Amino acid sequence: MGYDWLGPAMFAGALLLLSLGYPVAFSLGGVAILFGLVGVALDIFNPLFLTALPQRIFNIMANYTLLAIPYFVFLGAMLEKTGLAENLLETMGILFGRLRGGLALAVVLVGALLAASTGVVAATVVAMGLISLPVMLRYGYNKQLATGVIVASGTLGQIIPPSLVLVVLGDQLGISVGDLFIGAFIPGLLMAGAFALHVLIVAFLRPDVAPALPESVRNISKGELARRVVSVMIPPLLLIFLVLGSIFFGVATPTEAGAVGSLGAIILAALNGKLTGSALAEVSDSTLRISSMVIFILFGSTAFSLVFRGLNGDRFMFDLLTNLPGGTVGFLLVNMLVIFVLGFFIDFFEIAFIIIPIFAPVARALGLDMLWYGVILGANLQTSFLTPPFGFALFFLRGVAPPEITTEDIYRGAIPFIVLQVLVLVVLILFPPLVTFLPSLG
Amino acid sequence: MEFWLTVARWIDRLNEGIGRLSTGLVLILVGVGVWNVLARYLGQYIQQNLASNALIEIQWYLFALIFFLGAAYTLKHNGHVRVDIFYKNWDRRKQAIANLIGITCFLLPFCFLVLYFSWQTVLQSWLIREMSPDPGGLPRYPIKSMVLVSFSLLILQGISEGIKNLARLKNHPPAPTDLIPEEENHGL
Amino acid sequence: QANPSGSPSTDSTSLPQLQWRMATSWPQSLDTIYGSAEAFCQKISDMTGGRFTITPFAAGEIVGGLEVLDAVQSGAVECGHTAAYYYIGKSAALAFGTTVPFGLNAQQHNAWLYSGGGLEAMQKIYADFNIINFPAGNTGAQMGGWFKREVNTLSDLQGLKMRIPGLGGKVMERLGVNAQVLPGGEIFLALDRGTIDAAEWVGPYDDEKLGLHNAAQYYYYPSWWEPGAALEVQVNKTAWERLPKEYQAIFKAASYQVNLEMLARYDRLNQEALERLLAGGTQLRSFSPEIMAAAQRVAFEIYAETANSDATFKEVYEPWREFRDKILQWHKINELSLTNFVAETL
Ligand code: NA
Ligand code: NA
Repeated sequence: MGYDWLGPAMFAGALLLLSLGYPVAFSLGGVAILFGLVGVALDIFNPLFLTALPQRIFNIMANYTLLAIPYFVFLGAMLEKTGLAENLLETMGILFGRLRGGLALAVVLVGALLAASTGVVAATVVAMGLISLPVMLRYGYNKQLATGVIVASGTLGQIIPPSLVLVVLGDQLGISVGDLFIGAFIPGLLMAGAFALHVLIVAFLRPDVAPALPESVRNISKGELARRVVSVMIPPLLLIFLVLGSIFFGVATPTEAGAVGSLGAIILAALNGKLTGSALAEVSDSTLRISSMVIFILFGSTAFSLVFRGLNGDRFMFDLLTNLPGGTVGFLLVNMLVIFVLGFFIDFFEIAFIIIPIFAPVARALGLDMLWYGVILGANLQTSFLTPPFGFALFFLRGVAPPEITTEDIYRGAIPFIVLQVLVLVVLILFPPLVTFLPSLG
Repeated sequence: MEFWLTVARWIDRLNEGIGRLSTGLVLILVGVGVWNVLARYLGQYIQQNLASNALIEIQWYLFALIFFLGAAYTLKHNGHVRVDIFYKNWDRRKQAIANLIGITCFLLPFCFLVLYFSWQTVLQSWLIREMSPDPGGLPRYPIKSMVLVSFSLLILQGISEGIKNLARLKNHPPAPTDLIPEEENHGL
Repeated sequence: QANPSGSPSTDSTSLPQLQWRMATSWPQSLDTIYGSAEAFCQKISDMTGGRFTITPFAAGEIVGGLEVLDAVQSGAVECGHTAAYYYIGKSAALAFGTTVPFGLNAQQHNAWLYSGGGLEAMQKIYADFNIINFPAGNTGAQMGGWFKREVNTLSDLQGLKMRIPGLGGKVMERLGVNAQVLPGGEIFLALDRGTIDAAEWVGPYDDEKLGLHNAAQYYYYPSWWEPGAALEVQVNKTAWERLPKEYQAIFKAASYQVNLEMLARYDRLNQEALERLLAGGTQLRSFSPEIMAAAQRVAFEIYAETANSDATFKEVYEPWREFRDKILQWHKINELSLTNFVAETL
């Protein structure tokens, strides 16, 4: 019991060691191993506990939800590498003419839809990063705004139903997933709306950060524009909406829609005469590398949380929390803080597994509406994907962003959106009916 | 140093080859995914069961092969993301030191321990010829073995990266062009 | 059991302080099943005056729900609470440890385990995994699950996509169903969105909590594939052999208690939940004799085939089959005739 602080100390250790700049996946795994060894040396950690590690790796392998990742990466890479994404967004830019920030708005919209329907943050952020980031940069968007919009809208899917986070939360809290979906509807809209409003306001106040397309690009004949709309805008848009729609209306699972969408992207490229052997090879290569990067971060993270538990870090937190003063407000505040910190290094599945057994009994004892509490937790978990320096969504975008984007750009870009999310969270806490009203109708 | 650089070159060639081959699996993965969707709808239409758990499991087996075999290749191409806030501002020397620390303190211990804690469960899976518990599912032991293969390849690549960074640190001339990592992610 | 000093009473202060971990296959929301695992741990702590404590963990906390056996075998945790049939990929005969299609109900299954050589047979298999197991819970007869459309004939089953794991899934597969396995948390979404046409989970009480009645209208009975699913505690044998005899005895006693209590709770809760579901508009349907007869024929074909290719399976199956036929004859004459008579007069 005397060394229970070792678990929390892992976070400080990881913070320090990750800043060395060695790849995240292996740093997380390495930190886990180092602390595990310290625990073994102090005789508070049974090394046999680590034999659960391969089982956790197998569990990630066999996770059908994660199978959506390679497909959406492939889809995004195909649209990007063949120039289809660029033509699409450019034509949309021409159509919207002088509307500043139009491109960013489109990203919020498509990103939120994509995120909402796949529910897999890695897949969304990577696909949106591949498709929209280069185009936004080319037309002079501010790097921070461009990256912020992508990571923020990529994580939106955690709260917009149907969402994996809500399914896991419902399961863990023992409340109806259907009610949770309905309850999260208004909060999800609020967040998406806040993002869109933010983009519009920023574009209005500072024309330089989200410019309209330059005159030279916009200035084409009506006939030419019509031709472009029909040939380069409608087909990929149709593809994207078919993929999203089929998930939304239950025609296909995200994995299935991703697979068919990948084939659709190949066909589109072929129709545009862009489907070459080298393009296919390049897209496959990107898919392989990005998938490896994402999955190995999850491996590192699963090792981290296993050791955290082995060192009784969860019990330490429980003791700390149950002795906390401050009532409901204090409890919610601690909730948020803990989720932010855990969100640095631990995947949301595992966060849910660690915190809910600790928090849920306290929430019940405080007499909180569990449905409302579930939505608050979901919104909170979503924000934790974005918190610098180590939010997962930030890693995923960093992994596909071009070199002229610095890591600091991504961090700074995320900050306004984190502020917006926290604001919405506060509004939800102050006005519970925003969550509970719709379910109460059913 | 020359000898070690030769070793590094062999390792690089091995992982480059494995990685390149594995990219071919991506297209197969797309194909199987599309077939599974078709089978489901076609099967409902003609009232016959065209889908099978074997085909569904092949999908995640393929994905597992992709990231297991691709991990070392991705490491070779510097494709594993870093928190490079400080790293990118360091000179080549400091970066090499950071990489050497990362390789010896994080990468190699992590990979060795995964191997150490996995081999028995993989062996067990072989001994009982473990199958999928689902009807029509696939054998589990081959895919479980890939954990060992993947982390072994990572160890090899870690050794290669270690050698190359050491050579950098010693300013060993001439840096053979085939050993200079691609500038994939900003920072290195 | 005699202790070395030969004194009649246990000197509890001489017993060691022990802390174990228990991995389970259940989410916390399954309060009857996960709750039984918790109750089991609580009983052991109570009976040992807090000297021997076991902390239960929900599925995914230490390992995934279908990997409990692996974690117990490797020693990552000392014990686990799970269902044997999750591991039929490791040894097909483990299916008998839980339940098999057209097999025994809870009472008959306990008779087989405790008195008909069943537990010995299971423990013999588990010995190869360095595990010893004890029965620790039963759900009673389960329900046949939720269907989005009615199934009356065998041709209605063709191409139907259903969430149904294990041997039941194998039988369904032969009847033309596309049998799928999804974890509990994903069933609602898949059924609601129509990516599957049918799903079975446990019984009214647990199904209601997953919200399955909001995703499909027709609720079928009976679950001919799970006439009484038994759950169990698995213990790493090395850890077991290190336990003092007193703790071993307490451990076994606690497993008997939860085995009884879980069934009792389910039998009460399921009835209440079914009433609520029916009041809410759920349509109750029974599987047609055509489907039941075909399924039973296929099930025993599968057993015969598996016994031909798997010696361990055969070793368990043949005496189990004999036991099953005999106990069914006995129950048919006496127990069931009364139950049927009384139930018909309701
Ligand atoms: Na969503
Ligand atoms: Na069931």
